[in-house]
Amino acid sequence: MMKNEYIPYPAIIEEIRREAPDTKTFRLRFKDKKLAETFTYKQGQFMEVSVLGAGEAPISITSSPSRPGFLELTIRAAGMVTKAIHSLNIGDCVYLRGPYGNAFPFEEIKGKNIYFVAGGIGLAPLRSLINLVLDNRKDFKHIKILYGSKSTDELCFKNELELWKSIPDTEVWLTVDKPCDGWGCRVGVVTELWKDTHIDPNNSVSIVCGPPIMMKFVIAKLTESGFSDENIIMTLERYMKCGIGKCGHCNIGEKFVCIDGPVFSFTQVKTLPHKEGVI
Amino acid sequence: MKIKILKKEDLKGLLKEVVKEWNVYAPQRNLGSDLWFETLPKAGQELDQAIENIVLGDVNTVISPKDIFFPQLESCFEFSADSIKETVEFSPKFLLGVRACDLRGILFTDDFYKRNFQDKYYLSRIKDRFIVVKGCIKPPRVTCFCTSAKTGPFADGGFDLQLVESSDAYFVEVGSRKGEEFIKKHEEFFKDPANNVTEIIPQIKSKAAESVELKMDFQKALELMAKDNFIPEENYKRIGERCIYCGGCLYVCPTCTCFNVFDNVKDKSGARLRNWDACVFEGYTRETSGHNPRKEKWQRTSRRYEHKLKYDYMVTGTSGCIGCGRCLSSCPVDIGISKFIQEITEKRKMM
Repeated sequence: MMKNEYIPYPAIIEEIRREAPDTKTFRLRFKDKKLAETFTYKQGQFMEVSVLGAGEAPISITSSPSRPGFLELTIRAAGMVTKAIHSLNIGDCVYLRGPYGNAFPFEEIKGKNIYFVAGGIGLAPLRSLINLVLDNRKDFKHIKILYGSKSTDELCFKNELELWKSIPDTEVWLTVDKPCDGWGCRVGVVTELWKDTHIDPNNSVSIVCGPPIMMKFVIAKLTESGFSDENIIMTLERYMKCGIGKCGHCNIGEKFVCIDGPVFSFTQVKTLPHKEGVI
Repeated sequence: MKIKILKKEDLKGLLKEVVKEWNVYAPQRNLGSDLWFETLPKAGQELDQAIENIVLGDVNTVISPKDIFFPQLESCFEFSADSIKETVEFSPKFLLGVRACDLRGILFTDDFYKRNFQDKYYLSRIKDRFIVVKGCIKPPRVTCFCTSAKTGPFADGGFDLQLVESSDAYFVEVGSRKGEEFIKKHEEFFKDPANNVTEIIPQIKSKAAESVELKMDFQKALELMAKDNFIPEENYKRIGERCIYCGGCLYVCPTCTCFNVFDNVKDKSGARLRNWDACVFEGYTRETSGHNPRKEKWQRTSRRYEHKLKYDYMVTGTSGCIGCGRCLSSCPVDIGISKFIQEITEKRKMM
């Protein structure tokens, strides 16, 4: 019998961590034991998450495929579905289908310096690759994580930011628009971090995710720093319904962000029709 | 191609047989003056009356038969507090009187729903399907341009049977094995034609093609659209000023497949539904944050034309426009793809 891609499967919330005033990380496990054991995904992919009655929304996976057995989604309460998810507690059930979309490169970027540049909740999808890279630390050269958010409160994964900093040859640079008292890092947009640390384009690749305006400025800055288009990798956000290339909402030119992306190189992004709004 | 003859007066008897095994969809004029694909009742006076209301002349339905396989609103699954029940429709469907252009639309949509991930709802609905095309002797609309789009007025293939109308009978072209089996099963209704049929049918078809008056260089339009940024923004802005963004042209379009998904809930149970959506709506690409990559009207106008005439052609090798003329005939402000094509190929202002 043909598989019905639209049918989601129940998953139990095992853990909830508050990241920011409006953002929580949910650790989930499929209710069906066999499904839970066989479920795999790749860094950069996303899930379609349902709260029955509220609807369904695409959410990028934040956990790393190098740490199997569970699935983590970091969700900001913004719309109908995400607000409904935020109202749930440990032991409650959501419905999942996926994983969908392509993945961040991994094998291809071994032996390189990696620059992760994130804005706000844009760090969530990057975290999947960051932890995968860190779990294979010896395969990579220098790693820098440049992260900016609106305020100190809104920085996600605070404990992990500290942890990442402590790993050899791994740097974390932070900036916020509105600092709290005693903030020791930079104030301003994420491109301000170029003043704090040297950005070396040689044998390097950059992975970018954040709000559209931030992406534009970061890409310009990376290009200015000497990064080739091919070495700027980004994950695109787009209003989506089905996640499998049918409903049409995320269509740009002949591409679907949900199945041809969400990960694109800047080279690929440049071939998309910009008048249809890319970033 | 095997050819048989079906007398017009025998159609009623044939349908009464067919309706026993199939859900029969045919263009009917039941209420008002418009024509819609509707199912035939299974028996009795209602069936007789419905058969009387079938129109196979030179009129086409308001909406293409796409909604038989892709309904305007359908259920994906039903749910209660702790369970999900898939809702899939798979009844056998017999379509009588599909126009050649609309057949192309159906085949185009089939291909789309089979590509990459398979869409179970659509594919279940088409699984058991029999299509009888009725070629147009005269164009049903003044906005028809099938001869330019090379989609009609008669189909070259893809049907089970195709009716070629003559005075008191139809020549029936058999286009598939299913079609052959059907003829065999209902052989009492189908007679062998006279020897000169191979001359008569091409004559009828070419006369029909000649009667389509609206003509344009469709292929040239596709080639021009394939060039990067060939259409200046100003053109889309000009159309955008006139367009009221009602989405009507997309709802009537045989190849438009976009849908929205939402939950309809009452107490603790409900259903996940999907319904037609349209890329010209402002909310179509608006994200939760409020950011909208296609906020400007002209961006959506550009999307609408370039999807049909550029990207569909790029991906599938055929245009997403099948020349049925519905977009223009249904538009309250006189915009249509044919006019767009005339503008770019003939360099004259049409809108």
